Amino acid sequence: MNPSIRWDDELGVLRAEARRWLEERFPIARVRALADSEAGEDPADWKELAALGWLGLVVPEEYGGAGLGALHLSVLMEESGRRLLPAPLLASTLAALALCEGASEPQRERWLPALVSGETRFALAAATDAVWGGERADAFVARLGDRFALIGARDPGVRVEPELVLDRTRRSARVALDAARPAADALLPAGADELLGRLAPRACLALAAEMAGGADALLALTSAYAATREQFGKPIGSFQAVKHPLVNVLIGVESLRSLVYAAASAFDAGRPEAETLARMAKAKACDVYVFAASRAVQLHGGFGFTIDCDAHLYLKRAQTARPAFGDAMAQRRWLAAKLVDS
Amino acid sequence: MDEHESLRAEVRDWIARHHPGDPGWKLPQSALEVAEDRQFDWLREWQRKLYDAGYVGAEWPVEYGGGGRARGAQRAIDQELARARAPFLLNLVGLSWAGPVILHYGSEAQKRRLLRPLLRCDEVWCQGFSEPGAGSDLASLATRAVRAGDVWEIDGHKVWTTLGRYADWCILLARTDAAAAKHAGISYFLAPMKIPGVAVQPLVKMTGEGGFNQVIWSRARIPADALIGREGQGWEIATATLQFERGAAEGSAGGQGGGGGDVARLLALARGLERDARPVLDDPVVRDRFAQFWLEETALRANAGRARVPGLVADRPAALPLMSKLASSEHGQALADFACELLGPAAGLWIGDPRAPENAEWQRSYLNSFAMTIAGGTSEILRNILGERVLGLPKTR
Repeated sequence: MNPSIRWDDELGVLRAEARRWLEERFPIARVRALADSEAGEDPADWKELAALGWLGLVVPEEYGGAGLGALHLSVLMEESGRRLLPAPLLASTLAALALCEGASEPQRERWLPALVSGETRFALAAATDAVWGGERADAFVARLGDRFALIGARDPGVRVEPELVLDRTRRSARVALDAARPAADALLPAGADELLGRLAPRACLALAAEMAGGADALLALTSAYAATREQFGKPIGSFQAVKHPLVNVLIGVESLRSLVYAAASAFDAGRPEAETLARMAKAKACDVYVFAASRAVQLHGGFGFTIDCDAHLYLKRAQTARPAFGDAMAQRRWLAAKLVDS
Repeated sequence: MDEHESLRAEVRDWIARHHPGDPGWKLPQSALEVAEDRQFDWLREWQRKLYDAGYVGAEWPVEYGGGGRARGAQRAIDQELARARAPFLLNLVGLSWAGPVILHYGSEAQKRRLLRPLLRCDEVWCQGFSEPGAGSDLASLATRAVRAGDVWEIDGHKVWTTLGRYADWCILLARTDAAAAKHAGISYFLAPMKIPGVAVQPLVKMTGEGGFNQVIWSRARIPADALIGREGQGWEIATATLQFERGAAEGSAGGQGGGGGDVARLLALARGLERDARPVLDDPVVRDRFAQFWLEETALRANAGRARVPGLVADRPAALPLMSKLASSEHGQALADFACELLGPAAGLWIGDPRAPENAEWQRSYLNSFAMTIAGGTSEILRNILGERVLGLPKTR
């Protein structure tokens, strides 16, 4: 497997625009305020995300989306992860991917334009628990036995209970659908396992990209602190016991980013190794993000342990993102089977 | 597919017809372990053959003996040679370091005189940087060069000199100004080796192999035009040399195609191994570690692929080149160690024992892997450099 990566100026523009907009709109004080708020987000941000075209980034143009690929999505996710974006962009994107992969033509025509415009908020409910964006979603792409269906949040038989979560920048809910009875035309034609099989690698990649952005932000945060904080009359970053772990974070982050771009390029080119690369990226992301966050807390010393230091915001994001669509152990189990048994 | 596909096909066809096969005696694992005359002669012949076919220095300018091909051609060639398990190129120091340094800093006369024989292995190069008292702290080196009329007189003691016994030329660092600050008083020379006053003494590695030497320079006289760059510019050129050594440079002259595919090779071995009367590959712990090594090997290749795309490295342009040697050498070492662990008690058998799997190649690889984590900047020094240049951390002193 020889990963190759495609890149063009348009991607550079997307990265620069996303980074600038997110930095201006989400200074860390605002992220903290939203995390502490009841709703966890601001509806005005959602309107802006729709206006920027980001809700429909990967949705084909005939449904009002931008029709862009995995590499564009990776860049956007990386930048949103850097700012701990407190809005369910990823949740909506996962629902969009599920509809693109598994819905019939009339279903896509009916649902995707409303998703792209932000008018109807969608979330993916692949399982009952930990449904990201679930509390404020209008509709779920939800698993019901061996099929997925589109279910309205206020349909009879649907119970949505907000969860009390570690990462307050990303809200989730328990979505109980036992009593829901979707109309026949709300059932997606694809089988649930088949659809998840196609969706999971793309979800792994989107998450890995988001996690790469978070880990990279931690690296910048901790490096800046180590360069200025003085002990024994010197900046602590001059000590190898501090410098070398940070370099290990750097090597991890850069290798993770390389895997993310390689996987995304493979999806966009329709190459068969895309899933392997995406799962490698997710496995790497789990280890790198938690490591970067733990080093951030540790190297900030006593301050790192306080709620005032930003490190814990990322640490909590890392811990919650890890199990989604398979943690590192689960990914490596899949990879080992691929390597050894095939 | 890439733009060099027709070149790749040509190389595949050539190697199918010209692969030298197995000489019938033990070849070294790399240019670092060449210690016997028959190894040297056989490998020199191979590099000449490859050069004459146009596969060494493929991207270098034609006027200096190169092939003048497009960027990326050498990499394509090297990958095809590695895939065919062709022997490595003997003139490692020349191709990877001396050559790029001469191309970049040399005078026109130096380029015309030195590059073609370097590419063809008609002249072999070694490196005279480290000293007994100047390892990681290279700038504290004590070898002196004193100008006496139209010569420089060299006195000093250099160590860890790969290919020293066979070398015709040495990239040599020496102090030309004892009064100047540590880094400022150093100059860089392209010094002949086969002259009076140069004594090469072999050192033995922990594998029992030679190939590595110390060189004593005592009142050795080299011509004035052996200086490359300006007097006092030596540290800058040495830093550039080590960047080439660390894989930072595109446009290598060849011989860099190795590495990679080692997980597949180890997997093939593991398919025949058992532990407690069961296949090792049934063990979930072993499988987990294989997955991790596969992932890391793939990440190293993805790093190399990404490093060639400017838009993807804009955030930290120096990071991938500077981490390349560090990450790949540590990965290689960990993989060889894993291989030895998988071998179980057989890991205690050495070359020549009929029951040593693959004639103890993995054991030998593990021991030799330390050359890669020490030479050209130890992993510890490279972490300092990455921390300072890429993360902006203050200097370690």
